[in-house]
Amino acid sequence: MLEDTGFVDIQIGDPVDTFGGATGEDKARAFEVCGYAFLARRP
Amino acid sequence: METSRPARDGRERRRRLTTSDLLVDPDALREQVRDKYREVAVDPHRTFHFHTGRPLAARIGYEGDAVDALPDRAVESFAGVGNPFSLRRLQPGERVVDVGSGAGFDSFIAAGQVGPEGAVVGVDMTAEMLKKSRATAEALGFAHVEFREGLAESLPIEHGWADAVISNGVINLCADKRAVFEEIRRALKPGGWLQFADIANGRPVPPEALRDIDLWTG
Repeated sequence: MLEDTGFVDIQIGDPVDTFGGATGEDKARAFEVCGYAFLARRP
Repeated sequence: METSRPARDGRERRRRLTTSDLLVDPDALREQVRDKYREVAVDPHRTFHFHTGRPLAARIGYEGDAVDALPDRAVESFAGVGNPFSLRRLQPGERVVDVGSGAGFDSFIAAGQVGPEGAVVGVDMTAEMLKKSRATAEALGFAHVEFREGLAESLPIEHGWADAVISNGVINLCADKRAVFEEIRRALKPGGWLQFADIANGRPVPPEALRDIDLWTG
């Protein structure tokens, strides 16, 4: 979607276990939900 | 209803998606998000399904010195999902928009990176978050930080104003993500950076779950 909306030079960081130890952990684990950093540039 | 409007940068803008095109009703989702984050603003130490505050900032890789320098009220309602500064540090003098700024944590981190020659505008739709972030900015004496009421899909930002747009755990809570990215692109200067953190799932979520609005915020 970033490319579709005109962004370039897209980078994605390593996954972060955002929900580990929180009450939402089980649901997050079920769908392998992690946090990511994204970087993109408007040309 | 289908609406369209001419792009402010001359590009042909895609038509806005209608409610029936989207997985959930955008207005209903916004109300649910407001309810959830109102709680995070006024009662940040209760238990949520996500981490908050200083433990969360440490968990997702923020620089300790920058976080330690902030008062509790600037950090306690932080509920991000990653570090939008991990792939690119903001540069002194840059103009930054924080989409879904909440109680202002990322805006204050950004303010430290851009310095007094830069400017940071946080945008949020929740009154309690705006009240808290504005009071903290005043207490910190951050004259180069301001907070405006608005939506990610219609930012109260001049066309091409920003050198960088940051956001943290917000875009996944917007029903029309394409509209959000198009609006961020509008707010950026040519060559400007979008640096954000958000969640993504490694396994597919069942279609019925995607249309369950309660699961978007819980």
